[in-house]
Amino acid sequence: MTTHKTRIAIGAIAAAAALALTACAPQAPEPAASGDASSGGSSDTLTIATTTDVVNYNPLIGNSRSDYWVTNLMYPHLLSIGDDGSKSAELAVDWGYVDDTTGFYEIRDDMTWSDGEPLTAEDVAYTMNAVKQDAPAGTFYGQMANFESAEAVSDTRVEITLTQPDSSIVEEIGFWGNVVPQHVFEPAGSVAEFANDGGEDGWVSAGPYRLTSVQVGQSYTLERVENYPLVEGGTPGPASVIYRVFPDVNTEILALQSGEVDVIANSLPPAQVEQLRNTDGIEVAEVTGLGYAHMTYNMQNPDLAKTEVRRALAHAADYEAIRDVVLQGQAVSTGSSPLMPVLSKYYDDSITEYEYDPELSRQLMEDAGYTADASGMFPVSFRLIYSLQDPVTSQWAQLVKDGAAEAGITIELQGTERNTYLAMTNEGDYDIYAGNFAIMDDPVTNFALSYLPDGAINYTYVDDPALNDLILQASATFDEEEKIAIMREAAQLVHDEVYDNVMYTQNLFVAHSSDWAGFISKPSELLSIVNPISIASAYKVTE
Amino acid sequence: MSYALFVLRRVGRGVFTILFAVTVTFLLLRLLPGDPALAIASPNMTDETRAALLTQYGLDQPLIVQYLLYLGQMVQGNLGTSFTQSIPVVDVLMQRLPWTLLLTLSALLLTIVIGIPLGVIAASHKNRFLDRMVQVFGVTGQSLFVPSVGIVLLFVFGLNLRWFPIGGAYDDGVYGLEWYGSVLSHLVLPVLSLTLIQLGSYVLTMRATLIEALGEDYITLAKAKGVPPRTILWKHAVRNAMLPATTLIGLQLGFLVGGAVLTETVFAYPGIGRGIYEAVTQLDFPVLQGAFLLLAVTVVVANLITDLAYGFLDPRVKTA
Repeated sequence: MTTHKTRIAIGAIAAAAALALTACAPQAPEPAASGDASSGGSSDTLTIATTTDVVNYNPLIGNSRSDYWVTNLMYPHLLSIGDDGSKSAELAVDWGYVDDTTGFYEIRDDMTWSDGEPLTAEDVAYTMNAVKQDAPAGTFYGQMANFESAEAVSDTRVEITLTQPDSSIVEEIGFWGNVVPQHVFEPAGSVAEFANDGGEDGWVSAGPYRLTSVQVGQSYTLERVENYPLVEGGTPGPASVIYRVFPDVNTEILALQSGEVDVIANSLPPAQVEQLRNTDGIEVAEVTGLGYAHMTYNMQNPDLAKTEVRRALAHAADYEAIRDVVLQGQAVSTGSSPLMPVLSKYYDDSITEYEYDPELSRQLMEDAGYTADASGMFPVSFRLIYSLQDPVTSQWAQLVKDGAAEAGITIELQGTERNTYLAMTNEGDYDIYAGNFAIMDDPVTNFALSYLPDGAINYTYVDDPALNDLILQASATFDEEEKIAIMREAAQLVHDEVYDNVMYTQNLFVAHSSDWAGFISKPSELLSIVNPISIASAYKVTE
Repeated sequence: MSYALFVLRRVGRGVFTILFAVTVTFLLLRLLPGDPALAIASPNMTDETRAALLTQYGLDQPLIVQYLLYLGQMVQGNLGTSFTQSIPVVDVLMQRLPWTLLLTLSALLLTIVIGIPLGVIAASHKNRFLDRMVQVFGVTGQSLFVPSVGIVLLFVFGLNLRWFPIGGAYDDGVYGLEWYGSVLSHLVLPVLSLTLIQLGSYVLTMRATLIEALGEDYITLAKAKGVPPRTILWKHAVRNAMLPATTLIGLQLGFLVGGAVLTETVFAYPGIGRGIYEAVTQLDFPVLQGAFLLLAVTVVVANLITDLAYGFLDPRVKTA
């Protein structure tokens, strides 16, 4: 009897498990639409590894890299970017200013949404106005401080009205903002709360690929669209693109080596670059970095409010050793300037890196009025915060501490979990902030955010009237040469007063199978070789 | 005490435990450093955006109001909406739960099937070579760490031998029976990893309880009566040693769920453990609350079943 009951119980559990599993079973797709074979593209599938699931399909909200990589294939940007940091055409073919407070975009006339509706200037204007009104928690809204409204003055021309002259906003909005279909997003209500989860009819998009299947925690499948004018020939290469989720980077690399994936979307940890370069069947592409790693010194601390102390700290770190040892040579010096070499028009090579010189640091500390004790240490101690999720900064923070000790300055390291780190940063709960800014694509915007007194990432709490004036002048100057000259002057001031200690720009390395070629690399990890044009241009190498 | 009253008391205790777990989870999440708005939005958002986000999530309400609202929703079967995904938490959990059940129950089954015979072998060969080997295996197993075991298994069986796939729960683009085959092949390495981690404690417990049982008077009596050693071992000693082992199965379910977080991360398995990991990084309170509620219910129900089974097998327990 007991055995009989046990069998029934086991049978019931097995049936429940089978039922639960069946609920997860994917449906076989409908037969491919006719005409697919004659499209000119291949029948190959490009499989890309990413580290997290897509959190949000609404590109106006999404903030994670996986979100960005997938939604970028669905919703176009007005502008893209070149290796020299200058903005380039994408949906917009021409852009600029009508006058000091009116900007414009002229867009392509050959784009359509996947449901057949034309993509017009009305969609662009709607997207901008909705973002301004609903304030979704994304980078797009962060660019709209001086934006008042947008209007479609024709099917292909959008004009934007500004609240004050802003010489960066046209390019910044164009670069950061996706364009969404008005006829889908407007009926859904606030763009800040719309999940855009595809509903019953799927997603309406206008990129080279259309999202067709989502297996949460597992994969995201996108199918080629027939007509994508931004790629040569008008037809994307791979028939489909699958993003597969591998939360652990080591597993991700094993999957590439075994051939289960063709590309790893995220950049490789520095230590893995050489190993993968020397692995048969794998190629490693270098991607230009668009951000920088830096330390900022909290000037609300009375010791750090002294320029000599900040200079002493700046001369107490061995930047070259950090780049050579921790980053294994995969980073370039910016000359301790926030104008990085990648922004070639702005870069000023007369600004040179702080030299590692502990003796000079000691001298500067004495000039600031401090006297070392018998053990050679000055009576100051600074708390340096960093995120433990950032392995590179975690390593160089120790070198910074060691260098400072050589100069008689005590640094206490406080590595924390990322959310704690963000909260501490937001509250100014640090003496020294160490971290990375991923994309600093526009110098004026970057300076305004970092160094103006109300700047959202002014982690030094600097409020220097001379610097403020330069930044505001640059923002209101539409002559490029004049703007560059002003920004160089501002950068020199930041460098000399150590309002920011920019340590390097890290170039990024992404790995892909040598079975694939044709990728078009763009700066930054968000674009790299997984940008829409690149993926649409990729092809399988025939043996 | 009647069996019905015994069941009622255990169920009541289970409900109280779940309520306690829900409350502690709710409070712990609010004590976590960090701000969900910061975890979701761009760091350079304005104060107005941050305030709007907190209002949208209901995080601007007093703690007690948030708690009562949450309890009120929960009893109606509404676990709220994910901060980050803007979809119901129930949907988020249901997408992932089947995979975690498949993974953990398979590992539990394998642990029992391997663990009991190994424990019996060790106990019946006490202090002999086989016993020492099993003990070494058990102690080694207890010191293993999921990510290390996982990567080694993936490297050997996934990359070098190519016997099993590297990650995920199944291959894309396969359907029908082929899909079930793909699910099984993807299940092997994560289950093996989880089993190896859990097996040690199971084997050692089984060995210890069996050695204790073998020293009992009724075993001596059976020997004196001339009952064959195999019958004494399996029908008398093992049967009695199974009672503490049953308790261990219930307890192990909790450990298995904990181990699943790491296992699912290393093997890119789309279960609830990985969902928890991602929700923690995004401070997605509703998803975390829902996931921990689900885990609490699972562990409580497993223990309840264990208790009831125990009470059924050993009537003395009902009077405890």
